[in-house]
Amino acid sequence: MTAGRYILAIVLLAAVSLLCLCLGTVVLSPAEVFTVFFGGGSGTEGGILLGIRLPRLLMALTVGASLSVSGVVFQAVLKNPLADPYITGVSGGAAFGAALAALITSSFFPAAIAAFLGSLAAVLTVYLISRLRGLGSTSMVLSGVALSFMLSSGVLLLFSILRSEEVHRVLLWLMGDLSVARYGLVARMGAFLAALIGLTILYHRQMDIISFGEEFASSLGVTRRDVFALFWIGAMLAAVPVALAGVIGFVGLVVPHLARFFFGPRHAHLVPSAALGGAMLLALADAVGRTMAPPYEIPAGVITGFFGGIFFLIVLIRRGGV
Amino acid sequence: MMAILEARGLTAGYGAKTVISGLDLSVREGEFAALIGPNGSGKSTLVKCLTGYLAPGEGEILFSGRAIREYARRDLARELAAVPQFMPEPLPFLVRDFIMLGRYPHRRIFEAATAWDLEALRSAAELTGTEKLLERKLSELSGGERQMVFLARALAQAPRCIILDEPVSHLDIAHAVRIMDVLAELHSRGATVVAVLHDINLASEYAGRVIALKEGRVYADGTPTQVVEYRIIEGLFDTVCLVKENPISGRPFTYPVPGRLRNRGLS
Repeated sequence: MTAGRYILAIVLLAAVSLLCLCLGTVVLSPAEVFTVFFGGGSGTEGGILLGIRLPRLLMALTVGASLSVSGVVFQAVLKNPLADPYITGVSGGAAFGAALAALITSSFFPAAIAAFLGSLAAVLTVYLISRLRGLGSTSMVLSGVALSFMLSSGVLLLFSILRSEEVHRVLLWLMGDLSVARYGLVARMGAFLAALIGLTILYHRQMDIISFGEEFASSLGVTRRDVFALFWIGAMLAAVPVALAGVIGFVGLVVPHLARFFFGPRHAHLVPSAALGGAMLLALADAVGRTMAPPYEIPAGVITGFFGGIFFLIVLIRRGGV
Repeated sequence: MMAILEARGLTAGYGAKTVISGLDLSVREGEFAALIGPNGSGKSTLVKCLTGYLAPGEGEILFSGRAIREYARRDLARELAAVPQFMPEPLPFLVRDFIMLGRYPHRRIFEAATAWDLEALRSAAELTGTEKLLERKLSELSGGERQMVFLARALAQAPRCIILDEPVSHLDIAHAVRIMDVLAELHSRGATVVAVLHDINLASEYAGRVIALKEGRVYADGTPTQVVEYRIIEGLFDTVCLVKENPISGRPFTYPVPGRLRNRGLS
Protein backbone atom coordinates (compact mmCIF):
# COMPACT_ATOMS: atom_id res chain seq x y z
CA MET A 1 0.00 0.00 0.00
CA THR A 2 2.77 2.38 0.98
CA ALA A 3 4.81 1.24 -2.01
CA GLY A 4 1.91 2.18 -4.27
CA ARG A 5 1.79 5.64 -2.76
CA TYR A 6 5.50 6.12 -3.30
CA ILE A 7 5.14 5.11 -6.94
CA LEU A 8 2.25 7.52 -7.32
CA ALA A 9 4.25 10.31 -5.68
CA ILE A 10 7.24 9.69 -7.95
CA VAL A 11 5.05 9.63 -11.07
CA LEU A 12 3.40 12.87 -9.95
CA LEU A 13 6.80 14.42 -9.30
CA ALA A 14 7.94 13.46 -12.80
CA ALA A 15 4.77 14.93 -14.30
CA VAL A 16 5.14 18.16 -12.34
CA SER A 17 8.79 18.39 -13.38
CA LEU A 18 7.86 17.99 -17.02
CA LEU A 19 5.16 20.63 -16.63
CA CYS A 20 7.68 23.01 -15.09
CA LEU A 21 10.02 22.55 -18.01
CA CYS A 22 7.19 23.26 -20.44
CA LEU A 23 5.82 26.35 -18.76
CA GLY A 24 7.31 29.82 -18.90
CA THR A 25 7.18 32.94 -21.06
CA VAL A 26 7.79 30.63 -24.01
CA VAL A 27 5.55 27.61 -23.65
CA LEU A 28 7.05 24.38 -24.96
CA SER A 29 5.22 21.14 -25.64
CA PRO A 30 6.33 17.97 -23.84
CA ALA A 31 7.41 16.64 -27.25
CA GLU A 32 9.74 19.60 -27.70
CA VAL A 33 11.17 19.06 -24.22
CA PHE A 34 11.88 15.41 -25.02
CA THR A 35 13.50 16.36 -28.32
CA VAL A 36 15.93 18.68 -26.55
CA PHE A 37 16.86 16.05 -23.98
CA PHE A 38 17.19 13.08 -26.29
CA GLY A 39 19.18 14.61 -29.08
CA GLY A 40 18.09 16.77 -31.97
CA GLY A 41 16.53 20.03 -30.87
CA SER A 42 18.96 22.77 -29.96
CA GLY A 43 19.07 26.51 -30.49
CA THR A 44 16.70 28.73 -28.58
CA GLU A 45 14.64 25.97 -27.03
CA GLY A 46 17.75 24.11 -25.92
CA GLY A 47 19.15 27.31 -24.45
CA ILE A 48 15.99 28.07 -22.50
CA LEU A 49 15.56 24.52 -21.29
CA LEU A 50 19.09 23.53 -20.39
CA GLY A 51 20.39 26.98 -19.54
CA ILE A 52 17.51 28.36 -17.48
CA ARG A 53 14.61 26.04 -16.77
CA LEU A 54 16.42 22.84 -15.86
CA PRO A 55 18.77 24.33 -13.24
CA ARG A 56 15.88 26.29 -11.85
CA LEU A 57 13.72 23.19 -11.64
CA LEU A 58 16.51 21.32 -9.89
CA MET A 59 16.90 24.19 -7.46
CA ALA A 60 13.17 24.22 -6.73
CA LEU A 61 13.18 20.45 -6.15
CA THR A 62 16.15 20.60 -3.79
CA VAL A 63 14.98 23.62 -1.83
CA GLY A 64 11.42 22.28 -1.52
CA ALA A 65 12.62 18.88 -0.37
CA SER A 66 15.00 20.17 2.26
CA LEU A 67 12.61 22.77 3.70
CA SER A 68 9.96 20.07 4.07
CA VAL A 69 12.30 17.61 5.73
CA SER A 70 13.47 20.40 8.01
CA GLY A 71 9.82 20.95 8.95
CA VAL A 72 9.43 17.25 9.76
CA VAL A 73 12.50 17.40 11.99
CA PHE A 74 11.35 20.45 13.92
CA GLN A 75 7.80 19.20 14.35
CA ALA A 76 9.28 16.07 15.93
CA VAL A 77 11.93 17.76 18.05
CA LEU A 78 9.63 20.50 19.30
CA LYS A 79 6.61 18.18 19.57
CA ASN A 80 4.61 20.98 18.05
CA PRO A 81 2.52 20.52 14.91
CA LEU A 82 2.77 24.25 14.20
CA ALA A 83 6.56 24.22 14.21
CA ASP A 84 8.30 25.01 10.97
CA PRO A 85 11.96 25.49 10.03
CA TYR A 86 11.75 29.22 10.62
CA ILE A 87 10.80 28.85 14.26
CA THR A 88 14.50 28.62 15.06
CA GLY A 89 15.15 32.12 13.80
CA VAL A 90 16.71 30.84 10.57
CA SER A 91 14.68 33.19 8.39
CA GLY A 92 15.00 36.22 10.65
CA GLY A 93 18.75 35.77 10.93
CA ALA A 94 19.08 35.31 7.19
CA ALA A 95 17.00 38.40 6.43
CA PHE A 96 19.04 40.48 8.83
CA GLY A 97 22.31 39.19 7.36
CA ALA A 98 21.14 39.87 3.81
CA ALA A 99 19.94 43.38 4.67
CA LEU A 100 23.23 44.07 6.40
CA ALA A 101 25.14 42.89 3.34
CA ALA A 102 23.02 45.13 1.14
CA LEU A 103 24.52 48.13 2.97
CA ILE A 104 27.91 47.23 1.53
CA THR A 105 27.43 45.33 -1.70
CA SER A 106 24.78 44.48 -4.24
CA SER A 107 26.25 41.22 -5.55
CA PHE A 108 24.72 37.84 -4.82
CA PHE A 109 27.35 35.72 -3.13
CA PRO A 110 28.39 38.05 -0.32
CA ALA A 111 24.69 38.51 0.44
CA ALA A 112 24.13 34.74 0.47
CA ILE A 113 27.06 34.24 2.79
CA ALA A 114 25.88 37.04 5.07
CA ALA A 115 22.41 35.51 5.11
CA PHE A 116 23.84 32.12 5.98
CA LEU A 117 25.96 33.56 8.80
CA GLY A 118 22.92 35.45 10.05
CA SER A 119 20.95 32.19 10.12
CA LEU A 120 23.72 30.42 11.96
CA ALA A 121 23.97 33.18 14.56
CA ALA A 122 20.22 33.09 15.16
CA VAL A 123 20.09 29.29 15.37
CA LEU A 124 23.09 29.25 17.68
CA THR A 125 21.40 31.75 19.98
CA VAL A 126 18.21 29.69 20.19
CA TYR A 127 20.28 26.55 20.66
CA LEU A 128 22.35 28.00 23.49
CA ILE A 129 19.31 29.41 25.26
CA SER A 130 17.49 26.10 25.14
CA ARG A 131 20.62 24.25 26.20
CA LEU A 132 21.03 26.58 29.14
CA ARG A 133 17.40 26.27 30.06
CA GLY A 134 17.43 22.51 29.73
CA LEU A 135 15.75 22.08 26.36
CA GLY A 136 12.12 22.64 27.15
CA SER A 137 10.59 22.63 23.69
CA THR A 138 8.40 25.54 24.74
CA SER A 139 11.39 27.61 25.71
CA MET A 140 12.96 26.79 22.37
CA VAL A 141 9.88 27.93 20.47
CA LEU A 142 9.51 31.07 22.55
CA SER A 143 13.15 32.09 22.30
CA GLY A 144 12.94 31.57 18.53
CA VAL A 145 9.85 33.76 18.35
CA ALA A 146 11.41 36.47 20.51
CA LEU A 147 14.59 36.43 18.46
CA SER A 148 12.63 36.60 15.19
CA PHE A 149 10.84 39.72 16.40
CA MET A 150 14.11 41.37 17.34
CA LEU A 151 15.65 40.46 14.01
CA SER A 152 12.72 41.75 11.99
CA SER A 153 12.96 45.03 13.88
CA GLY A 154 16.61 45.05 12.88
CA VAL A 155 15.68 44.42 9.24
CA LEU A 156 13.18 47.29 9.31
CA LEU A 157 15.83 49.53 10.85
CA LEU A 158 18.23 48.64 8.03
CA PHE A 159 15.49 49.23 5.46
CA SER A 160 15.06 52.75 6.77
CA ILE A 161 18.75 53.38 6.09
CA LEU A 162 19.05 51.56 2.75
CA ARG A 163 18.30 53.10 -0.63
CA SER A 164 14.98 52.05 -2.05
CA GLU A 165 16.29 49.89 -4.93
CA GLU A 166 18.34 47.89 -2.46
CA VAL A 167 15.33 47.51 -0.20
CA HIS A 168 13.43 46.22 -3.21
CA ARG A 169 16.13 43.70 -4.01
CA VAL A 170 16.31 42.41 -0.46
CA LEU A 171 12.53 42.28 -0.32
CA LEU A 172 12.38 40.19 -3.51
CA TRP A 173 14.90 37.80 -2.00
CA LEU A 174 12.92 37.70 1.21
CA MET A 175 9.91 36.50 -0.75
CA GLY A 176 11.83 33.52 -2.07
CA ASP A 177 13.57 33.79 -5.40
CA LEU A 178 14.72 30.83 -7.43
CA SER A 179 16.12 32.83 -10.34
CA VAL A 180 19.68 32.54 -9.02
CA ALA A 181 19.85 28.87 -10.03
CA ARG A 182 23.07 27.88 -11.81
CA TYR A 183 24.33 24.34 -12.33
CA GLY A 184 27.43 24.65 -10.17
CA LEU A 185 25.49 26.14 -7.30
CA VAL A 186 22.65 23.65 -7.58
CA ALA A 187 25.03 20.70 -7.74
CA ARG A 188 26.97 21.68 -4.63
CA MET A 189 23.89 22.64 -2.67
CA GLY A 190 22.05 19.54 -3.87
CA ALA A 191 24.80 17.17 -2.80
CA PHE A 192 25.05 18.75 0.64
CA LEU A 193 21.30 18.80 1.25
CA ALA A 194 20.78 15.28 -0.10
CA ALA A 195 23.40 14.06 2.37
CA LEU A 196 21.58 15.84 5.20
CA ILE A 197 18.25 14.33 4.18
CA GLY A 198 19.92 10.92 4.15
CA LEU A 199 21.22 11.57 7.64
CA THR A 200 17.71 12.53 8.75
CA ILE A 201 16.37 9.18 7.55
CA LEU A 202 18.97 7.44 9.73
CA TYR A 203 17.39 9.17 12.71
CA HIS A 204 13.86 8.00 11.93
CA ARG A 205 13.38 5.88 15.06
CA GLN A 206 14.76 8.56 17.32
CA MET A 207 12.30 11.05 15.83
CA ASP A 208 9.41 8.62 16.34
CA ILE A 209 10.37 8.34 19.98
CA ILE A 210 11.09 12.02 20.59
CA SER A 211 7.58 12.85 19.33
CA PHE A 212 6.25 11.23 22.50
CA GLY A 213 8.07 13.50 24.90
CA GLU A 214 11.45 13.87 26.51
CA GLU A 215 10.94 11.67 29.52
CA PHE A 216 9.66 8.90 27.27
CA ALA A 217 12.60 9.33 24.91
CA SER A 218 15.06 9.25 27.78
CA SER A 219 13.60 6.00 29.12
CA LEU A 220 14.19 4.37 25.74
CA GLY A 221 17.77 5.48 25.47
CA VAL A 222 17.32 8.43 23.09
CA THR A 223 19.63 11.07 24.48
CA ARG A 224 19.79 14.83 24.40
CA ARG A 225 22.72 14.42 22.08
CA ASP A 226 20.37 12.86 19.53
CA VAL A 227 17.95 15.74 19.99
CA PHE A 228 20.65 18.35 19.51
CA ALA A 229 22.05 16.52 16.48
CA LEU A 230 18.58 16.58 14.95
CA PHE A 231 18.23 20.25 15.81
CA TRP A 232 21.37 21.09 13.84
CA ILE A 233 20.47 18.86 10.91
CA GLY A 234 17.08 20.55 10.71
CA ALA A 235 18.61 24.00 11.03
CA MET A 236 21.11 23.33 8.23
CA LEU A 237 18.36 21.93 6.03
CA ALA A 238 16.65 25.32 6.35
CA ALA A 239 19.61 27.69 6.51
CA VAL A 240 21.28 26.63 3.26
CA PRO A 241 18.18 26.95 1.06
CA VAL A 242 17.21 30.22 2.73
CA ALA A 243 20.66 31.72 2.14
CA LEU A 244 20.50 30.83 -1.55
CA ALA A 245 16.84 31.09 -2.45
CA GLY A 246 15.37 33.33 0.21
CA VAL A 247 12.59 32.85 2.68
CA ILE A 248 10.13 30.48 1.07
CA GLY A 249 7.37 30.13 3.58
CA PHE A 250 4.82 27.52 4.37
CA VAL A 251 6.43 24.58 2.55
CA GLY A 252 8.11 23.47 5.76
CA LEU A 253 4.86 23.73 7.69
CA VAL A 254 2.33 22.27 5.25
CA VAL A 255 4.19 19.47 3.53
CA PRO A 256 4.96 17.49 6.71
CA HIS A 257 1.24 17.48 7.51
CA LEU A 258 0.32 16.34 4.02
CA ALA A 259 2.98 13.64 4.17
CA ARG A 260 1.63 12.50 7.52
CA PHE A 261 -1.87 12.37 6.06
CA PHE A 262 -0.85 10.09 3.20
CA PHE A 263 2.02 8.12 4.71
CA GLY A 264 1.24 8.00 8.44
CA PRO A 265 3.21 9.31 11.40
CA ARG A 266 6.28 7.04 11.23
CA HIS A 267 9.36 9.00 10.30
CA ALA A 268 10.80 6.18 8.20
CA HIS A 269 8.12 7.13 5.66
CA LEU A 270 7.54 10.71 6.72
CA VAL A 271 11.02 11.92 5.78
CA PRO A 272 11.17 10.53 2.23
CA SER A 273 7.55 11.35 1.47
CA ALA A 274 7.94 14.91 2.77
CA ALA A 275 11.02 15.30 0.58
CA LEU A 276 9.06 14.15 -2.49
CA GLY A 277 6.07 16.32 -1.61
CA GLY A 278 8.14 19.41 -0.88
CA ALA A 279 10.05 19.06 -4.13
CA MET A 280 6.80 18.73 -6.02
CA LEU A 281 5.07 21.63 -4.28
CA LEU A 282 7.86 24.14 -4.74
CA ALA A 283 8.48 23.22 -8.39
CA LEU A 284 4.78 23.69 -9.04
CA ALA A 285 4.69 26.98 -7.16
CA ASP A 286 7.64 28.28 -9.13
CA ALA A 287 6.07 27.27 -12.44
CA VAL A 288 2.83 29.01 -11.48
CA GLY A 289 4.73 32.11 -10.40
CA ARG A 290 6.59 32.27 -13.69
CA THR A 291 3.52 31.92 -15.87
CA MET A 292 0.77 33.68 -13.95
CA ALA A 293 1.43 37.25 -14.99
CA PRO A 294 4.13 37.52 -17.66
CA PRO A 295 6.43 39.34 -18.09
CA TYR A 296 6.54 39.59 -14.31
CA GLU A 297 7.75 36.74 -12.18
CA ILE A 298 5.90 36.26 -8.96
CA PRO A 299 8.38 34.96 -6.36
CA ALA A 300 7.80 31.33 -5.44
CA GLY A 301 7.50 32.24 -1.76
CA VAL A 302 4.45 34.39 -2.49
CA ILE A 303 2.77 31.51 -4.31
CA THR A 304 3.56 28.91 -1.63
CA GLY A 305 2.36 31.25 1.10
CA PHE A 306 -0.90 32.08 -0.65
CA PHE A 307 -1.94 28.78 -2.19
CA GLY A 308 -0.33 26.78 0.57
CA GLY A 309 -2.44 28.69 3.06
CA ILE A 310 -5.65 28.15 1.14
CA PHE A 311 -4.93 24.48 0.66
CA PHE A 312 -4.06 24.06 4.31
CA LEU A 313 -7.30 25.71 5.41
CA ILE A 314 -9.33 23.48 3.10
CA VAL A 315 -7.69 20.36 4.49
CA LEU A 316 -8.18 21.65 8.01
CA ILE A 317 -11.88 22.34 7.52
CA ARG A 318 -12.62 19.11 5.67
CA ARG A 319 -10.78 16.88 8.05
CA GLY A 320 -11.53 18.81 11.21
CA GLY A 321 -7.89 18.75 12.23
CA VAL A 322 -4.62 17.82 10.61
CA MET B 1 18.73 -10.62 47.19
CA MET B 2 20.86 -7.97 45.58
CA ALA B 3 19.76 -4.35 45.32
CA ILE B 4 18.73 -3.53 41.76
CA LEU B 5 17.93 0.13 42.41
CA GLU B 6 19.61 2.24 45.00
CA ALA B 7 19.47 5.90 45.96
CA ARG B 8 22.32 7.11 48.17
CA GLY B 9 22.08 10.48 49.87
CA LEU B 10 19.84 11.66 47.04
CA THR B 11 19.07 15.37 46.84
CA ALA B 12 17.13 16.47 43.78
CA GLY B 13 14.82 19.16 42.52
CA TYR B 14 14.22 21.62 39.72
CA GLY B 15 16.40 24.70 39.53
CA ALA B 16 16.57 26.32 42.94
CA LYS B 17 13.71 24.24 44.30
CA THR B 18 14.80 21.16 46.23
CA VAL B 19 12.15 18.45 46.33
CA ILE B 20 14.10 15.52 47.73
CA SER B 21 16.80 15.92 50.34
CA GLY B 22 19.15 13.25 51.60
CA LEU B 23 17.05 10.26 50.65
CA ASP B 24 18.38 6.71 50.98
CA LEU B 25 16.49 3.85 49.43
CA SER B 26 17.24 0.40 48.18
CA VAL B 27 14.99 -1.83 46.10
CA ARG B 28 15.94 -5.49 45.88
CA GLU B 29 15.74 -7.46 42.67
CA GLY B 30 12.31 -9.07 42.31
CA GLU B 31 10.48 -6.73 44.66
CA PHE B 32 7.11 -5.12 43.97
CA ALA B 33 7.38 -1.73 45.65
CA ALA B 34 4.69 0.95 45.76
CA LEU B 35 5.55 4.59 46.36
CA ILE B 36 2.81 6.48 48.14
CA GLY B 37 2.59 9.92 49.64
CA PRO B 38 0.83 13.25 49.33
CA ASN B 39 1.04 15.48 46.26
CA GLY B 40 4.38 17.26 46.16
CA SER B 41 6.08 14.74 48.42
CA GLY B 42 8.69 13.96 45.75
CA LYS B 43 7.36 10.69 44.32
CA SER B 44 7.59 11.78 40.69
CA THR B 45 10.94 13.45 41.26
CA LEU B 46 12.27 10.27 42.81
CA VAL B 47 11.00 8.27 39.84
CA LYS B 48 12.67 10.67 37.41
CA CYS B 49 15.95 10.20 39.27
CA LEU B 50 15.59 6.43 39.45
CA THR B 51 15.09 6.21 35.69
CA GLY B 52 18.08 8.45 35.09
CA TYR B 53 16.00 11.18 33.45
CA LEU B 54 16.72 13.77 36.13
CA ALA B 55 20.30 14.16 37.32
CA PRO B 56 20.55 14.33 41.12
CA GLY B 57 21.81 17.52 42.72
CA GLU B 58 23.71 15.48 45.25
CA GLY B 59 24.10 11.79 45.92
CA GLU B 60 23.89 8.96 43.51
CA ILE B 61 21.54 6.48 41.88
CA LEU B 62 22.80 2.98 41.29
CA PHE B 63 21.28 0.42 38.99
CA SER B 64 22.46 -3.13 39.52
CA GLY B 65 25.31 -1.86 41.65
CA ARG B 66 26.62 0.63 39.09
CA ALA B 67 26.10 4.41 38.98
CA ILE B 68 23.29 5.17 36.57
CA ARG B 69 25.12 8.12 35.00
CA GLU B 70 27.89 5.77 33.89
CA TYR B 71 25.49 3.74 31.76
CA ALA B 72 25.09 4.39 28.07
CA ARG B 73 21.40 5.25 27.87
CA ARG B 74 20.63 2.46 25.41
CA ASP B 75 22.31 -0.15 27.59
CA LEU B 76 20.29 1.02 30.55
CA ALA B 77 17.08 0.97 28.50
CA ARG B 78 17.59 -2.72 27.76
CA GLU B 79 17.23 -3.48 31.47
CA LEU B 80 15.15 -0.67 32.90
CA ALA B 81 11.85 0.49 31.44
CA ALA B 82 9.74 3.42 32.52
CA VAL B 83 6.16 4.50 31.99
CA PRO B 84 6.09 8.27 32.54
CA GLN B 85 3.10 9.98 34.07
CA PHE B 86 2.56 12.51 31.31
CA MET B 87 2.70 11.91 27.61
CA PRO B 88 1.89 14.40 24.87
CA GLU B 89 -1.37 13.96 22.97
CA PRO B 90 -0.71 10.67 21.17
CA LEU B 91 0.08 10.68 17.48
CA PRO B 92 -1.91 8.37 15.21
CA PHE B 93 0.72 5.62 15.37
CA LEU B 94 -0.55 2.09 14.89
CA VAL B 95 -0.50 0.37 18.28
CA ARG B 96 1.81 -2.25 16.77
CA ASP B 97 4.32 0.39 15.66
CA PHE B 98 4.09 2.16 18.99
CA ILE B 99 4.80 -0.98 21.00
CA MET B 100 7.71 -1.70 18.66
CA LEU B 101 9.28 1.60 19.76
CA GLY B 102 10.05 -0.35 22.93
CA ARG B 103 12.48 -2.41 20.88
CA TYR B 104 14.56 0.66 19.99
CA PRO B 105 17.35 -0.02 22.52
CA HIS B 106 17.70 -3.54 21.13
CA ARG B 107 17.73 -2.69 17.43
CA ARG B 108 20.35 -1.43 15.01
CA ILE B 109 19.76 1.39 12.55
CA PHE B 110 19.04 -0.60 9.42
CA GLU B 111 17.94 -3.83 10.98
CA ALA B 112 14.45 -4.96 10.11
CA ALA B 113 12.47 -6.35 13.04
CA THR B 114 14.05 -9.65 14.06
CA ALA B 115 12.19 -12.75 15.22
CA TRP B 116 13.30 -11.72 18.69
CA ASP B 117 11.64 -8.29 18.32
CA LEU B 118 8.43 -9.81 17.00
CA GLU B 119 8.37 -12.29 19.85
CA ALA B 120 8.77 -9.44 22.35
CA LEU B 121 5.89 -7.61 20.68
CA ARG B 122 3.71 -10.71 20.74
CA SER B 123 4.36 -11.54 24.37
CA ALA B 124 3.94 -7.90 25.50
CA ALA B 125 0.60 -7.77 23.69
CA GLU B 126 -0.45 -11.12 25.10
CA LEU B 127 0.44 -10.26 28.68
CA THR B 128 -1.46 -6.97 28.49
CA GLY B 129 -4.34 -8.36 26.46
CA THR B 130 -3.79 -5.79 23.73
CA GLU B 131 -3.55 -8.21 20.77
CA LYS B 132 -6.85 -6.99 19.39
CA LEU B 133 -5.70 -3.38 19.46
CA LEU B 134 -2.52 -3.90 17.43
CA GLU B 135 -3.91 -2.65 14.13
CA ARG B 136 -5.73 0.31 15.64
CA LYS B 137 -4.45 3.83 15.98
CA LEU B 138 -3.09 4.98 19.30
CA SER B 139 -5.01 8.24 19.08
CA GLU B 140 -8.34 6.41 18.80
CA LEU B 141 -8.04 4.35 21.98
CA SER B 142 -9.86 4.98 25.24
CA GLY B 143 -7.89 6.11 28.28
CA GLY B 144 -7.78 2.61 29.75
CA GLU B 145 -6.74 0.95 26.49
CA ARG B 146 -4.11 3.58 25.94
CA GLN B 147 -2.55 3.08 29.37
CA MET B 148 -2.45 -0.66 28.76
CA VAL B 149 -0.69 -0.04 25.43
CA PHE B 150 1.81 2.26 27.17
CA LEU B 151 2.51 -0.60 29.56
CA ALA B 152 2.86 -3.06 26.67
CA ARG B 153 5.36 -0.70 25.06
CA ALA B 154 7.48 -0.78 28.23
CA LEU B 155 7.22 -4.58 28.41
CA ALA B 156 8.48 -4.86 24.83
CA GLN B 157 11.75 -3.49 26.17
CA ALA B 158 12.04 -6.84 27.99
CA PRO B 159 13.26 -5.08 31.13
CA ARG B 160 14.47 -6.56 34.40
CA CYS B 161 12.93 -3.64 36.20
CA ILE B 162 9.98 -1.41 35.36
CA ILE B 163 9.19 1.92 36.97
CA LEU B 164 5.74 3.46 36.59
CA ASP B 165 4.58 6.92 37.60
CA GLU B 166 0.90 6.83 38.52
CA PRO B 167 -0.10 4.25 35.93
CA VAL B 168 -3.70 4.03 37.10
CA SER B 169 -4.62 7.40 38.63
CA HIS B 170 -7.10 8.50 35.99
CA LEU B 171 -8.61 5.09 35.33
CA ASP B 172 -11.81 3.52 36.57
CA ILE B 173 -11.56 0.68 39.06
CA ALA B 174 -11.87 -2.11 36.47
CA HIS B 175 -9.13 -0.73 34.25
CA ALA B 176 -6.96 0.04 37.26
CA VAL B 177 -7.26 -3.53 38.51
CA ARG B 178 -6.48 -4.88 35.05
CA ILE B 179 -3.27 -2.85 34.89
CA MET B 180 -2.32 -3.86 38.44
CA ASP B 181 -2.98 -7.52 37.59
CA VAL B 182 -0.55 -7.26 34.68
CA LEU B 183 2.05 -5.78 37.01
CA ALA B 184 1.45 -8.59 39.48
CA GLU B 185 1.88 -11.17 36.73
CA LEU B 186 5.08 -9.45 35.61
CA HIS B 187 6.33 -9.48 39.18
CA SER B 188 5.55 -13.17 39.53
CA ARG B 189 7.72 -13.80 36.48
CA GLY B 190 10.67 -12.25 38.29
CA ALA B 191 10.67 -8.61 37.23
CA THR B 192 11.21 -5.81 39.72
CA VAL B 193 8.25 -3.41 39.76
CA VAL B 194 8.30 0.07 41.27
CA ALA B 195 5.08 2.05 40.93
CA VAL B 196 3.92 5.40 42.20
CA LEU B 197 0.33 4.88 43.30
CA HIS B 198 -2.16 7.43 44.50
CA ASP B 199 -4.54 4.79 45.70
CA ILE B 200 -3.28 3.44 49.04
CA ASN B 201 -5.58 0.45 48.76
CA LEU B 202 -4.17 -0.65 45.41
CA ALA B 203 -0.69 -0.26 46.87
CA SER B 204 -1.65 -2.35 49.87
CA GLU B 205 -3.31 -5.08 47.81
CA TYR B 206 -0.62 -5.53 45.18
CA ALA B 207 2.75 -4.44 46.53
CA GLY B 208 5.00 -6.50 48.75
CA ARG B 209 6.53 -3.32 50.06
CA VAL B 210 5.07 0.14 50.56
CA ILE B 211 7.37 3.13 50.69
CA ALA B 212 5.75 6.32 51.98
CA LEU B 213 7.31 9.63 51.05
CA LYS B 214 6.65 12.92 52.78
CA GLU B 215 8.39 16.21 52.13
CA GLY B 216 11.14 14.55 50.13
CA ARG B 217 12.05 11.94 52.76
CA VAL B 218 11.10 8.36 53.45
CA TYR B 219 8.36 8.62 56.06
CA ALA B 220 7.65 4.91 56.42
CA ASP B 221 8.87 1.82 54.65
CA GLY B 222 7.77 -1.78 55.10
CA THR B 223 5.15 -4.38 54.27
CA PRO B 224 1.60 -3.15 53.59
CA THR B 225 0.56 -4.27 57.08
CA GLN B 226 3.37 -2.24 58.64
CA VAL B 227 2.88 0.94 56.61
CA VAL B 228 -0.86 1.04 55.93
CA GLU B 229 -1.65 1.63 59.55
CA TYR B 230 -3.91 4.44 60.64
CA ARG B 231 -1.34 6.44 62.61
CA ILE B 232 1.12 6.32 59.75
CA ILE B 233 -1.41 7.13 57.04
CA GLU B 234 -2.92 9.96 59.11
CA GLY B 235 0.51 11.42 59.76
CA LEU B 236 1.57 10.92 56.14
CA PHE B 237 -1.38 12.76 54.66
CA ASP B 238 -2.30 14.95 57.65
CA THR B 239 -5.82 13.63 57.52
CA VAL B 240 -8.10 11.37 59.47
CA CYS B 241 -8.81 7.87 58.29
CA LEU B 242 -9.82 4.42 59.28
CA VAL B 243 -7.85 1.28 58.43
CA LYS B 244 -9.46 -2.16 58.29
CA GLU B 245 -8.50 -5.53 56.96
CA ASN B 246 -9.75 -6.76 53.62
CA PRO B 247 -11.34 -10.09 54.60
CA ILE B 248 -10.47 -11.68 51.27
CA SER B 249 -6.81 -10.76 50.99
CA GLY B 250 -6.00 -10.03 54.59
CA ARG B 251 -4.37 -6.77 53.52
CA PRO B 252 -5.21 -3.47 55.20
CA PHE B 253 -7.40 -0.94 53.42
CA THR B 254 -8.02 2.70 54.16
CA TYR B 255 -11.23 4.65 54.51
CA PRO B 256 -11.29 8.42 54.56
CA VAL B 257 -13.22 10.09 57.37
CA PRO B 258 -15.16 13.15 56.14
CA GLY B 259 -14.37 16.46 57.85
CA ARG B 260 -17.85 16.83 59.34
CA LEU B 261 -17.52 13.58 61.29
CA ARG B 262 -14.04 14.03 62.62
CA ASN B 263 -14.83 15.55 66.00
CA ARG B 264 -17.48 13.03 66.98
CA GLY B 265 -15.16 10.31 68.18
CA LEU B 266 -16.20 6.72 68.58
CA SER B 267 -17.26 6.56 72.20
